[in-house]
Amino acid sequence: MSAESQKTAVNLKMKIVLVVDDFFNFRLTMKNMLRSFAINYIDDASTGEEAIRKLSVRKYDIILCDYNLGPGKSGQQVLEEAKFREYINYSSIFIMVTAENTREMIMGAAEYEPDDYLMKPFAKEVLEKKIKNIIEKKENFKEIDKSLINHDYSQAITLCEALMEKSPRNLSELMKLKGEILIKKGSYQEASEFYNKVLVMGDVVWAELGTGKANFMLGKYEEAKNIFENVITKNDKIMSAYDYLAKIMIKLNNPKDAQQILMKATSISPKAILRQKNLGNIAYSNEDYSVAESSFKSAVEQGKNSCFKSPSDYTSLAKTLVQRDASEEGLDILNDAIKAFPNNSDARLHVSVTESYVYTKMNKTEEAVKSMAEAQKLAKEFEGPISTEIMLDLAKAHIIMGDEDKGTEIIKNIVRGNHDNDEMLDNVRLVFKETGMAAKGENIISVAREEIIKLNDEGVNLAQEGKLAEAIAYFEKAAAQLPDNKIINANAAQVLMIYMKQNGKNEQQLINAKIYLDRVRKIDETYVDIPLLLSLYRELVPEVNDGK
Amino acid sequence: MESKMNFSDILASTLHDTKNSLGVLFNNLEDIIARCHDKNCAEHVEFYHLQYEIKRLNHSLIRLLSLYKAEKSQLTINIDYHSIRDVLEEAVVQHDMLLKSRGIKLTTRCDPELFGVFDLNLIMGVLDNIINNSFRYAKENVEISAFKENGYLVMRVEDDGTGYPAAMLFNKDTIPEFNREIDFETGNTGLGLYFSFMVAAMHKNKEKSGFISITNDEKSGGGVFSIYLP
Repeated sequence: MSAESQKTAVNLKMKIVLVVDDFFNFRLTMKNMLRSFAINYIDDASTGEEAIRKLSVRKYDIILCDYNLGPGKSGQQVLEEAKFREYINYSSIFIMVTAENTREMIMGAAEYEPDDYLMKPFAKEVLEKKIKNIIEKKENFKEIDKSLINHDYSQAITLCEALMEKSPRNLSELMKLKGEILIKKGSYQEASEFYNKVLVMGDVVWAELGTGKANFMLGKYEEAKNIFENVITKNDKIMSAYDYLAKIMIKLNNPKDAQQILMKATSISPKAILRQKNLGNIAYSNEDYSVAESSFKSAVEQGKNSCFKSPSDYTSLAKTLVQRDASEEGLDILNDAIKAFPNNSDARLHVSVTESYVYTKMNKTEEAVKSMAEAQKLAKEFEGPISTEIMLDLAKAHIIMGDEDKGTEIIKNIVRGNHDNDEMLDNVRLVFKETGMAAKGENIISVAREEIIKLNDEGVNLAQEGKLAEAIAYFEKAAAQLPDNKIINANAAQVLMIYMKQNGKNEQQLINAKIYLDRVRKIDETYVDIPLLLSLYRELVPEVNDGK
Repeated sequence: MESKMNFSDILASTLHDTKNSLGVLFNNLEDIIARCHDKNCAEHVEFYHLQYEIKRLNHSLIRLLSLYKAEKSQLTINIDYHSIRDVLEEAVVQHDMLLKSRGIKLTTRCDPELFGVFDLNLIMGVLDNIINNSFRYAKENVEISAFKENGYLVMRVEDDGTGYPAAMLFNKDTIPEFNREIDFETGNTGLGLYFSFMVAAMHKNKEKSGFISITNDEKSGGGVFSIYLP
């Protein structure tokens, strides 16, 4: 990039800008600076809530948002919500203004990152340069972004490499992006090698996290564990390393350690609602109800300012309070849930289910029956699929109210859909344990699992015998009945693709294969066969336009 | 809840407070300068001097906070790949107006292909400090340059002033270790140098560590500050 093009290219005049800061004085200064760039349209907001309101009604090109906005939503929460609700998109510029170097504080903790950070105080020349640099960068990245939207990963990587070749500008972002694309593409080994190359020049933390992630995806849990532990030893504020470590501990069948890791993470950085929920769930299944209570409480509290709030924060807390002999408080929490999610059928269903559970535990049979009737009515009227989480709670409520058949029938379906999902099976086991039918439950689980394994094996046998057409019909039928089952869907995709490889492409089969493939990725993006399936798919669809 | 408070913690929180106030002051002054600029008023230059002093204070506070963090083992290094030309350009944007107000020209020199792996915030802190000092000592020119030398990335700030006093010279050929007493006499408390030294040393790769050198140019006699990163 030559110096001249930088001066001529960018014109800020027509940009629509939002300034968010709790200090009037600072908003004024910022607005003066922006006016000096000939920007005419400038709005401001003094709180995160006001910022979200304004973002919801107007599309802003540039948002300058202070990180620390006093009580209420923080700058990070404004960013998250704006992206989550799609008030801002790829072309919008979001600059986080910080009082001092908060970057490290936020780093790795956040689901979403701003385009850049700006440390107070700054001169207008610095602001102007920063905005222009970001605009230029987005212009440069446009083609890469297009390829990503089209799922054309190879093209995106080629474009990244071309830009790196051209100049070292944005080198870090380009390398980071390349690594992420390799992971997305399922090329975990290649990703791992790439990150290691980046690390030759020094301990760049995103590349360390990248190798950890690649190893995790490759199922090399011990290696991944060492990498993440090493990252934390050097800087204990890299929060995503804790999240991965906890995931690894779960995979290594060590939920107690997973809990300890997340407890340490939340003590360092308590403001992270998703991590608090995760900790709450793990602590609950570890029967450490006191930790579960405080985690869910803080999830509920933080949810008041976060777009990541969900009814299950409340229902989980209510269930935990029952275990803590505070059922009355649990009922209050369920009332709060209805207030926090007005006109939300998902919330009403989940609350009714949980209510019937709480009442039963309180020996208030009449109320419990009433809540259950309500829940069943809501479930019938429910549009779309009901989440497995709610279904499991519903099953539990049925069982403790004495309707074991209804409960186990629901559970059987859950097991059929998740027969190789250890985490979900553990949740199911937990329900059986809590309802005093651990042994019987284990039997139910294994019968339902064997049923699916047998079903799957028959399909696999057909394929191995070379009866591919029959195998396709078989797996497509099975996938229709078990849309949430990873293995069945993966095999449906695989037999279709092998068939096409031998007999030529067929548009409808290609579409179906893609549907099954997408299901598998949605169910478990870390599934070990994904790279294989993706490469099969790539052979059939040379990477252009497959996203449509 | 712990009720006892450590003196250094009180100091640190006061520093944060002071820094915030300075931020407000700095920005108010920005506004005044902007208005002044529009009206072409004579105080223009004086305001820049005010801003210079605020910047100096601000840098001192940032350094103090960094050193406080280092003391508490909370200062972590966050290295990443950076385009050197972008870094130098950013430094120019930061300081150009101010130096111009005293008739000092700030130039940069580096290969546009050059990149390095370091902690941008810390290195910027070091460069800001040195460039800001040249506001006082340079006559007409300050040059920031960067290049590779013996496997190190060197970033250098040179001015055409009278150079560093003999007591401050600090050369890589002698002892690469900071053992100077804080010298209040010269007006430089040594804090800035200590910070630069520490930041350089925090940059490690394989067996090599970063270091700084402070010399005077043999011909012109102007001050030459260099930071070497492995």
